Amino acid sequence: MLFLLLSWPAFAQTRKITGTVTDSSTGSALPGVTVRILNTQNGTQTDAKGNFLLQTETTGAVTLQVSYLGYANLQKTVTGNTAGIIQMSPEINNINEVVVVGYGEVKKRDLTGSVVSIKGDEVTKIPSTNVMESLQGKIPGADIVRSNGSSNAGTTVLLRGHRSLAGGNDPLYIVDGAIYSHIEDLNPADVQSMEVLKDASATAIYGSRGANGVIIVTTKSGTLGAPKVSLNVYGGLTDVAEYPHYMTGPEYVAFQRQAYRTTGKWNSEADDPNIFNAAELADIKNNTWTNYRDLLIHRGNEQNYEINISGGSEKTKAFFSAGFNRNKGLFKFDHTNKYTARLNIIHNISNLFQAGMNSQITFYDISSESDPLNEANKIIPLGAAYDSTGALAIYPENGPQLNPLVNEAIPNNYADNTKASRLLTTAFVQITPLEGLSLRSNISVTLNNSREGIFNGRYSLDRNGGDPRSQYQSSRGTDILWENILTYKKQLGNHHFTLTGVTSYQSDQSDNGNGQGDGQLIPSQLYYGLGNATTGLVASTGYVETKLISFTGRLNYDWKGKYLLTLTGRTDGSSKLAPGNKWAFFPSAAAAWRISQENFLANSKTVSNLKLRASYGVAGNDPLDAYSIQSLLTNISFGYGETSAPGYGFSPQIGNKDLKWELSATKDIGLDFGLWNDRVSASVDWYDTRTSDLLLPRLLPTSTGVQSVVQNIGKTRNTGIEVSLSTVNIQSGAIKWTSSVTFTSNKEEIVSLATGGQNDIADGWFIGHPTAVFYDYQKVGIWQTDQADEAAKYGQTPGTIHVKDEDGDGKITTSDRSILGAAVPKWSGGLSNTISYKGFDLNVYVFARIGQMINANYLRFKSGTYENQAMHDYWTPENETNAFPRPNSNGGLQYLSTLQYVSGSFAKIRLISLGYTLPKSLTDSWKMRNLRIYVTAKDPFTFSSTQNYDPERGGSENFPMTKSFLVGANIDF
Amino acid sequence: MKLNIHSYILPIVTLALLASSCNKQLEQYNPGGLTAEAVFSTPEGFETLVNAAYSYERWWYGKEEGYCASEMGTDIWDAGQAAPDPGLTDYVNLQGSDDYLTGLWQDLYAAVNICNYGIVYVDKAGLAPAMKTTRLAELRFLRAFYYWHITETWGASPMPLTPTEGIETTASKVSVDSIYQQIFNDLTFADDNLPVTTGDYGRVTKPAAEAFLARMYLTRGMNQQASDMADKVINNYGFHLVQHYADLWPMDKMAAAEDSEVIYAVNYTENKSLDDAQDDILFPFGHSRGGNNGHLDFLMKYDDQPGMQRSIEYGRPFVRFMPTRFLLELFNDKIDARYTGSFQTAWYCNNAATAPAGMQPGDTAVVVTKEAVSQQERDSKPYRIYDINDTYNSDGSVKDNQHFVQLSKFMDPTRSSINEQVSARDVFVIRLAEMYLIAGEAQFKMNNPQKAADYINVVRERAALPGDQALMEVKPADITLDFIMDEWAREFAGEQLRWFTLKREDKLIDRVKAGNPNAAAGIQSYHTLRPIPQTELDAVTNPNDFKQNPGYQ
Repeated sequence: MLFLLLSWPAFAQTRKITGTVTDSSTGSALPGVTVRILNTQNGTQTDAKGNFLLQTETTGAVTLQVSYLGYANLQKTVTGNTAGIIQMSPEINNINEVVVVGYGEVKKRDLTGSVVSIKGDEVTKIPSTNVMESLQGKIPGADIVRSNGSSNAGTTVLLRGHRSLAGGNDPLYIVDGAIYSHIEDLNPADVQSMEVLKDASATAIYGSRGANGVIIVTTKSGTLGAPKVSLNVYGGLTDVAEYPHYMTGPEYVAFQRQAYRTTGKWNSEADDPNIFNAAELADIKNNTWTNYRDLLIHRGNEQNYEINISGGSEKTKAFFSAGFNRNKGLFKFDHTNKYTARLNIIHNISNLFQAGMNSQITFYDISSESDPLNEANKIIPLGAAYDSTGALAIYPENGPQLNPLVNEAIPNNYADNTKASRLLTTAFVQITPLEGLSLRSNISVTLNNSREGIFNGRYSLDRNGGDPRSQYQSSRGTDILWENILTYKKQLGNHHFTLTGVTSYQSDQSDNGNGQGDGQLIPSQLYYGLGNATTGLVASTGYVETKLISFTGRLNYDWKGKYLLTLTGRTDGSSKLAPGNKWAFFPSAAAAWRISQENFLANSKTVSNLKLRASYGVAGNDPLDAYSIQSLLTNISFGYGETSAPGYGFSPQIGNKDLKWELSATKDIGLDFGLWNDRVSASVDWYDTRTSDLLLPRLLPTSTGVQSVVQNIGKTRNTGIEVSLSTVNIQSGAIKWTSSVTFTSNKEEIVSLATGGQNDIADGWFIGHPTAVFYDYQKVGIWQTDQADEAAKYGQTPGTIHVKDEDGDGKITTSDRSILGAAVPKWSGGLSNTISYKGFDLNVYVFARIGQMINANYLRFKSGTYENQAMHDYWTPENETNAFPRPNSNGGLQYLSTLQYVSGSFAKIRLISLGYTLPKSLTDSWKMRNLRIYVTAKDPFTFSSTQNYDPERGGSENFPMTKSFLVGANIDF
Repeated sequence: MKLNIHSYILPIVTLALLASSCNKQLEQYNPGGLTAEAVFSTPEGFETLVNAAYSYERWWYGKEEGYCASEMGTDIWDAGQAAPDPGLTDYVNLQGSDDYLTGLWQDLYAAVNICNYGIVYVDKAGLAPAMKTTRLAELRFLRAFYYWHITETWGASPMPLTPTEGIETTASKVSVDSIYQQIFNDLTFADDNLPVTTGDYGRVTKPAAEAFLARMYLTRGMNQQASDMADKVINNYGFHLVQHYADLWPMDKMAAAEDSEVIYAVNYTENKSLDDAQDDILFPFGHSRGGNNGHLDFLMKYDDQPGMQRSIEYGRPFVRFMPTRFLLELFNDKIDARYTGSFQTAWYCNNAATAPAGMQPGDTAVVVTKEAVSQQERDSKPYRIYDINDTYNSDGSVKDNQHFVQLSKFMDPTRSSINEQVSARDVFVIRLAEMYLIAGEAQFKMNNPQKAADYINVVRERAALPGDQALMEVKPADITLDFIMDEWAREFAGEQLRWFTLKREDKLIDRVKAGNPNAAAGIQSYHTLRPIPQTELDAVTNPNDFKQNPGYQ
């Protein structure tokens, strides 16, 4: 937006117009307001005190156009040299907001596509180091899930369901015009706005890149006038949210006794020596047992500091920020330090030229934990973690399992440190040779550098008695995006045209080098003395390159702002696809009708805004992997005698020489409306996406000697509705209560597969069902004692799992498997309530995902093994439950997987935040513009049908989800 | 306005440049990747194919998966406390979902695929004619070798003879007879063209191909050919039996055994970088454990006994597999050296801290015996005794699955640490002793008991304790098929032959029922074939033609 505010040549100007812009409700000065003489490019911005000065040669009455984000635009006619005080009203109605779309920006009211816009203050409301985490539940149609509970966990973002299986499903992130997949690098406080583009007409200009939706992030830019400083600080504690109960020593002993009782080897405690070894017997006698999980999980903490400074003159504006975040996870070696810095500069070289550069550097210092809980959940609880001298028992009770504490308790036994830096620089030059015509050339470069050093000592979880191993892995990457954008705006009477043309060249290239050596003599050298390895010193390097070339054109047309039309065409060429199939054309068209502009609604007191939108477009997807068309070889280490004889075998994935674009055609119909002066505003979208030539990583019969291929097979369809609704419930005096609701329901189904009309059981793909389903036997219960005869017909005995004879043929065969549920939710939604009273503000945000099924690892039933497990309600002759089967020391129980499918539905209170903004009188005396302090609870409560388990984790037991309590302050000077 | 002209030129030039160079720009560049066309078309590259073709043997030999598929579920082994696969050890709900069989199927067919590529494209590799013939012969031996494992395990199975170069989604079964026909074709070619010796230990040689051919003839009931071929191997190549059976197994005598008795072995290396353990750099799709794992699987739980602690010498006890009572009782240990040559029955104190009063390091700490020991005798000893009745019930079923007479053949005290899982022990796939038993069994089946006895007695004579040769000698009249089956067990227990030996003579079901009460409860007549992996059945697009083996779900 700033680029458009070009100053007109300043010669021969005599008249100076001054004025002050204030907020109509509070009376306080508004800095950074754009004041422009109507229909000219002559404009300026207010300074920190709300004052502006405009120079013009025009004499007589001039009309000033005053605009400011979040406030209603207004015009004021001035005849003299002073405009006086201009009062602006905050906008409830946000349809005049400017929204960033691909390669341009439009007013929200002029949108023809489905776009959701989030402002920066929404992002910083949830204290988080990842902007996407702050958006959970705020964007209808977006399914945003925290990946896990570790300190450097990312988020998984899915817009409108899975379209693709082999292509990526991640949306495209555009940061200040640059493609940037590492959204987590952004400092949330740097965000000015984020727009989420979902339908094909909105994303079509990104062609193949936009098939999974586009998220455009605009970072803050400098503001005119005196420098402004903002400070955001928070800190707090992190705890494990929920975790399943694993068997204690006595529970484990009871379970094993039952297991051997079943096989007749245990009848009373006198038989214990037959089933426990000598050390275990002593432990049972002394009641010695260990809860390793409690020893491993510590309380985490987080601290975060951000500072940003913005300022500028008519010629040059700058925004600078720096941030530091330290997040210590639940495990000793799980901590992440993130350092960020950003500098955005924009400079008006002359009336014709503007240039600017946005750059961001992010540096991570990450210590990663391997997975100690996996071991902790497995190891027999009997015995002590430390022996009588206080030394760690490496193999407690000389058992087969390594002590899960080895990594953290043995000095210099484990290290995994990543130091990664990423630099994103976008530079542009823009020329405006004629009224309405602009040419812009953007070049963005992302430089990645990362190195990971890993050391695993002899008794680390990874080496488990093998030689110590050091690894050093470094990688670098250069992503270059060069785009040239031509924009031409023309008005002919009531017809408004905007033409946009884009050429785009993208080249992503990376290479890496890895070294590894074994048998290091001095553990404290960690990964720094790789050359000192006594054996197995090896190295490897790798290279990946992909390219994408595109040409795009777009026409935006409207008549009187009532009837809107957008036509887009883009052609993309991808290096990942087979020769002859590299290019594809992606067209789209969208239309909108602003009904509220029609005469019959113009004076309506009820309807303040009404817009109908319809669009159709095609987007594409190429495979994730750069080289899916090639059949590659893979190393095999081998030798004759002691002589090296390296081998190359076929990679498990075979190349596909016919690979082509996956195409998604989307219809979208949307309605935006506002009632009672937008006290209630809502947006509803219905969409239907049909994907053809679906890219699938398909399992092949392994008798072919290979295991999988990426193939264009089949069609999927995603239909759904998305609703967002905002209401101002109470607005009287000091109290204001607003609510917003988002709701998404997506139905995903496979329409056809390459197998013809046949389902692909190996991959779990079934026509008419979502792409990720659970296909297995259906558990009915446990065979009970009085069902012994019936059970015997199926070769089962009381206490074993009773599964449904789906086809009723009197025996259980693989054809009795059925689809039990899907991994995708039926619907998800969020409800946010904000109540403000005087200086206080309270925000409560509830999020729900309903209808998905998870395969919960902790429900794994282990029988006939000497491993621990979660405490199950298992069957014994005295406890005829239908939950879990009877333990059996011989193992071999059938259908155990059926125990693990459970509902993953959950509702969460994602956030409770209470803030207090100190009175202005007080802060003014402290020379502050604003001071808000707050306390926040993140994820404090979860409601689900799984016991002691947070289903958001998706079934895994590792890196459990966390809840945190934070205290923070936002300070503006 | 000069500036304006430039500003037009920039995008126009850009467009023109991009358009002309677009297609060239979009060509794939993958300097780090290797393709078969590029690598296997050079002599050096072709060698890596042949090396790879051998490497798949390691997925079966010396691995838990291989032991389960080749030794377990027979009359001689039962499940130890930590048995990994009750389906294969005791036929408890053995189904197509079995992980071990799924993995072995995949690895065997991956091996076949790489052999097929080499066999089809060997002409393009630019090898010198003599070398080309040798490598082709090796690949054809390997293909036959892998197909033998496939067809004996699963019966009628897919039999691709060309490499998979496109997307194949169907599979069809080829009869066992046809697969054997192919095996014989390949082996005959190998026999005709392989060199008699090799400098690369682990490569197949002419005698190895002939020895394997002898095994194939016997398997197919071609007894005369089997006997003749075994004779050829016995007489023509200078192999001889190691003098003492027990000397086959110590790590420091392995090379000597390989010089005299071993005809074909799967090579493992001391250099771990040549090993098959999964490694992101060296072997991205390698085995999760790597190396020979026999030293782990057969050990009993000794390290919690009074006076004992885990040591490199005694190994890391995985307690996976234990002998059946039946196996132990096959041995007359008074005259047959193979009992002490195969099993460990005593452990000597290595931990004074837990030793009972009066026991010094080096004293006997634990004895496990196949005899019965009286209470009186136990009371008189300071050490722990597990006798036959402690370990087994009288019907042969297992009472104590932690403490048993353990197979010691594969122990490896040369590993670098107590808990090191990788052993460099080579796996003896074919020993000369097998040739004698093959010839003996073939002669017996041709009703020549005298000749049968002559062959078998060579093996028994070597097995005899000093001075007991006469006692060990078997009379022609005493030879029965069951005696021969017993002799295979005494000579080759644990050497990944048992399941095939019993299946060959249709003895699997009967002898499991007779010797292994735990497995007897599960075994059914259809268990002479293993279930085809469910992943295979689910992935084929012709499920109506390609079906599970009978009896399985």
